[in-house]
Amino acid sequence: MKNKNQKRIRNRVWAWIVTAGLTIGSLAGCGSQTVEQTAQDEKTDGEVTITIWHDKEDAVTQVLEEKFAQLEPQIHVVLEKKSDLTEALKMVGNDPKAAPDMYFFAHDKIGVYAEMGILSPITDIIPAEELDAYMDNTIEAATYKGTVYQLPIYYETLLFMYNRLYMKDEEVPATTEELYAYMQENTHGGHYGFVEQHSTPYYAAGWINGFGGYILNDAGEPGLNLPETEEALAYHKKFVDLMPGETEYATVNTLFKEGMAHATIAGPWLIPTVRESGMDVGIASMPVIDETGKPIAPYMGVQGAQVLKNAAENKKDAVEQVLRVLMKDEVGIALAQASGCAPARENCYSYEEVSGDEVVMAMKETAENAVPMPNLPEMDVMWTVASGLLTDVNMAGNDVAESAEKAQKEALQLIESMK
Amino acid sequence: MARMKNAHGNRQQNKKRRETLFAYSWSLPSLVLILLIVIFPILYTGYISMTNMNIYHWNNYEFIGLENYKDALLVFDNGFLTALFVTILWTVVNMVLQLVIAFIMATLLNVKGLRLRNVYRTLLIFPWAMPGYVSILLWKTGMFNSQFGLLNQWMIRLGMEPVRWLGSDVIAFISCTTVNLWLALPFMITIIDGALQSVDRSFYESALLDGATWLERTRYITVPMIRPIIAPSVMITTFTTFKQFDVIYLLTQQVGSKTGANIHTILTYAYEKAFITNNYGYSSAISILIFGMLLVFSLVTNGRKEERR
Repeated sequence: MKNKNQKRIRNRVWAWIVTAGLTIGSLAGCGSQTVEQTAQDEKTDGEVTITIWHDKEDAVTQVLEEKFAQLEPQIHVVLEKKSDLTEALKMVGNDPKAAPDMYFFAHDKIGVYAEMGILSPITDIIPAEELDAYMDNTIEAATYKGTVYQLPIYYETLLFMYNRLYMKDEEVPATTEELYAYMQENTHGGHYGFVEQHSTPYYAAGWINGFGGYILNDAGEPGLNLPETEEALAYHKKFVDLMPGETEYATVNTLFKEGMAHATIAGPWLIPTVRESGMDVGIASMPVIDETGKPIAPYMGVQGAQVLKNAAENKKDAVEQVLRVLMKDEVGIALAQASGCAPARENCYSYEEVSGDEVVMAMKETAENAVPMPNLPEMDVMWTVASGLLTDVNMAGNDVAESAEKAQKEALQLIESMK
Repeated sequence: MARMKNAHGNRQQNKKRRETLFAYSWSLPSLVLILLIVIFPILYTGYISMTNMNIYHWNNYEFIGLENYKDALLVFDNGFLTALFVTILWTVVNMVLQLVIAFIMATLLNVKGLRLRNVYRTLLIFPWAMPGYVSILLWKTGMFNSQFGLLNQWMIRLGMEPVRWLGSDVIAFISCTTVNLWLALPFMITIIDGALQSVDRSFYESALLDGATWLERTRYITVPMIRPIIAPSVMITTFTTFKQFDVIYLLTQQVGSKTGANIHTILTYAYEKAFITNNYGYSSAISILIFGMLLVFSLVTNGRKEERR
């Protein structure tokens, strides 16, 4: 009887311990940690780790890793690929324990992060006069409300590409009407004269900009119901009628890659894939829009390094050294050779390795007319609204003026809701 | 005697109180977890919904009372009512089809003398084992794509015109329903299959002796017997279907690959009208309002269930 009682008490004590342990364990993560991130990253003998988030392809990261190796052992640079980089930064950008020190991304998110207060101006680390060595439009793209938040590395624009098996060099359309005639003649039997992601704002913006319209201007105002934008949409529609119903990346690029589409407007990232498939791909200037006399003017995306405020405050010297590596001409040249990236530094174009590259030079030519993607926070809602407008007009066949009016109203409402 | 009775009563009460205390103590870890995982996010969302937290006030957000709710009510416009109607239609159509098809499939799996029964069960569970995101995109590109999709390849072989399966509202609704059924049926078949196996065979034997037909056996024996077993799963699936987002969004609304169909459930509608604004206060207010709607829906459904009992 005594033994039984003792056993019961022992079991009860164990049960209390386990229950208390589980309860404390559940709450353990809620406590605040006081360990300083800098203490974690700065090793005992002055070595510093710089973590950089990015979403780049392997060819680009390999070049960067090689170049950053020269900073070892004092500075160890870790390149971390993040598929949800933009959302992750919103969540942890302010938390030195979870946030990176820098990130590589296109310039269009600068406004969002600058407003959130997580970015450091690049000019706090690199003197402004040293940025004169960069192409004007790349610095313009990197600037938000008068402050430069990005060190540009390279830029991308869409390119007019054609399959030489079907479209001879002399057949390449110089104007949009020539392109239309070519499409009429060659779109049949499962083949398309020309395809593009016609209802995706990033692609359709080239037509809108070419007409003098815009999706969002520098003041953060949407321009979806401007006469120029509506004209562009109406004119573009006749081309869309000769393209497939789908607008997404996979369908459009597969059609071109498989030789079912003779020409396309696509990003430079498509070129290695189509070349691998054995296609003799040609690159030409954007056709001039007959109605306006101006070429199709696509968006330009500037890829570069952004520094987070915490890193700029706690690891300024190390961050500066990392940025100075990226400012070397040799990085721009290596990236151009490895992945067809068009360097943002003017001086890189004086090297044969860059000026002799057909893709890079085509991008430079297109960039002269290209429009930097707006980097304002308002652009976050404009992608969705513009996408809805393009779908309404191109795929649902709705009236241009009515759809544009509705989209403009929605855009204004959403922009208001952001504040 | 009375004093002894009182003392005994007090002892009983104390014992009961102690047992209750112990019961709560043993449940404490689970209660803490539920509090952290379920209750806290709801309360926190409620708190955020009363602040002006957005990208312009990321660190310095302030309490603004019910301002966001005032703005959120603007989202509940005609478009929202249409989305609500579509959501209800979507839930009803999907649940009816799921139950009917799953019942038929489960009944077939329980046919006496069926060979390779376990192979069929494994094959039928397969879609459930695949990540939903992958299945949806496979359907979108592999089946529905107008250029390369299997359905149009068959149509062309049969001498018919290719169809844009996600291009307009009605056909896109049917296509989305098909994908949702593909994703949801394995779960329902498994539940009904298990429930059917739990029904005592002797009921059927008696019914057969009484000359009951298959339809009568199903109506008077199978359905009443399996109803209480499958009820919780049906409830859960109804809620999952009601708050469906990924099937409709990924098939028809994804930015960069919209298809021209304009079907919205309340969640896809709220996403396009609020969540893309980066205004966390405003989006939280909409989430709380939708949560309230689901709560009412849940109370109404539970109330009806109680009445039936």
